[in-house]
Amino acid sequence: MSTMSFLSEQERLVLELRELYQGHGCMRFPMRRFEEYALYLENKSFLTSEQVLSFTDGNGKLMALKPDVTLSIVKHARRGRECVEKLYYIESVYRASPTDHEFKEIEQIGVEYLGNVDRYATGEVVWLALESLRCCHREYVLDISHMGLTAGLMNECALDGETRRAVFGLISQKNVHELRALLAQKGVSAEMTDRFAGLITLTGTVEEMLEKAAELVVGDEALRAVDELKQLYSDLKALDMSNRIRLDFSIDSDLDYYNGIVFRGYLEGAPRAVLSGGRYDHLMTKMGKDADGFGFALYLDELNSLFMLPRREEIDILARYSPEDDAAKVLAAVKSLRDCGLRVHATCGETPDLFAYRQYRFNGERFVEVE
Amino acid sequence: MLNVALPKGRLGDKVYNLFKQIGYDCRAMEDGDRKLVLRDPDGEVSYLLVKPSDVAIYVEHGAADIGVVGKDVLLEGGNDVYELLDLGFGICRMAEAAPVDFKENKQRPLRVATKYPRIAKRYYASICREIEVIKLNGSIELAPILGLSDVIVDIVETGTTLKQNGLDVRREILPISARFIANKASMKFKEAQIRDIQEKLAAAIMEKAGEKK
Repeated sequence: MSTMSFLSEQERLVLELRELYQGHGCMRFPMRRFEEYALYLENKSFLTSEQVLSFTDGNGKLMALKPDVTLSIVKHARRGRECVEKLYYIESVYRASPTDHEFKEIEQIGVEYLGNVDRYATGEVVWLALESLRCCHREYVLDISHMGLTAGLMNECALDGETRRAVFGLISQKNVHELRALLAQKGVSAEMTDRFAGLITLTGTVEEMLEKAAELVVGDEALRAVDELKQLYSDLKALDMSNRIRLDFSIDSDLDYYNGIVFRGYLEGAPRAVLSGGRYDHLMTKMGKDADGFGFALYLDELNSLFMLPRREEIDILARYSPEDDAAKVLAAVKSLRDCGLRVHATCGETPDLFAYRQYRFNGERFVEVE
Repeated sequence: MLNVALPKGRLGDKVYNLFKQIGYDCRAMEDGDRKLVLRDPDGEVSYLLVKPSDVAIYVEHGAADIGVVGKDVLLEGGNDVYELLDLGFGICRMAEAAPVDFKENKQRPLRVATKYPRIAKRYYASICREIEVIKLNGSIELAPILGLSDVIVDIVETGTTLKQNGLDVRREILPISARFIANKASMKFKEAQIRDIQEKLAAAIMEKAGEKK
């Protein structure tokens, strides 16, 4: 019997992931449960929900239970690109549920690379994302995209801020019919509209999609984006995991914060993305750091649907004594069983929820097995 | 096996016929069975019959891989799903209606009775009109008649119910029709099958549109 058998699936997963990240030289980022409220107020749109649990501390300063970890990590990051800081975290975040607006404590685990995130480091982060998914489930895929593709097209069409948001919303739903209607209403040419529609409905192998994408996009920014994706994909091929990688140009992330490569991870049996990540140089700049930022988070609460089967709580020996027995003698007898390395549940009653491999009864001196 | 969520009732029947036409039939559906989950042992799909307003919820949470739902339900629920196709039927409009002789007092918030608070709030915010939403679950037309609200925001198909209750459409808010939706994760693991259905549905709709012309 493994010494770790008492761990829940989630605890075991967290240990496995920590081992993975430490093995790549990532250091755990220590942090408090709360931050100054102002941090979240200034970066409201970076958060998935605007609701933040706030409170006033002893000095009258408004504080918040953190709804996000990335912002705190960026805040404490060094400036400059001399080196790359590789960090990981396991933290609870506090977020309002989008459906019932009640706050939930969500366990999040993630990796952030800050500083000089070069081509190798980019590949390594995506590799870690793939490995993280593999630790969770044997059927997984990682969807990859690049913010520059749709952003490039939107720049070419000179769309205003509100329209861009609407376009992004429709792209994330792969909603081609309404996207066409909206672009026509905004006076975008039919040719450009076809390019947008073509991009979000592309299918095929990664290589085929990259070739087709290169034909569909216009402008330097978008072409650079295709090149970056090509580079990343050819780098990742070295890892023999490329069958897990898909391209999906409908991934939506906020352009104010994200630029470059973005990705989402899916597991068979989990209805939503369980992993989300990307390059956030814009966020770094916004927070006054002249450095690159690239990372991802894994939402442990989204894995709940995978851990549906109730776990059998088990024990080696159910040791029964009666109320009249001498407590000191029972203690000594239990100790001798524990000294043999056995898991013992001593009781004078019933334990219906516990599975025991063997049943013992106290005979006044020691425990003896009951047939 | 693909799970398809269909709205119970007229729209659901129409959608099933369309699926049957493209080769995804299910004998159990035609037996007049009153079961809510209908499986065909040899078929590639099984159908779940659910309340129209719940279709998107089943799909979002992955209990169904794909589904067909009205745009009104989708907008009100704000569900995180892929909206792959406008099926072009179940056509109606979301509109603001008021008693025929209604005069709006712009000095105070407009009282709006509706089943669709989210759509109403978004619409009036877009035209900078302050409102007070009264959420009702049915017989919306009663609200302005009894003075519960000034106007209503509701689905209008032919306008007959409105007329019978002395109401008139004041403003059209949105066109509504049935949409083909898919769960985001299902799209990753069952993409070929979902795409096949999407393409065949699109072709069937085009054909129908051609016939009408």
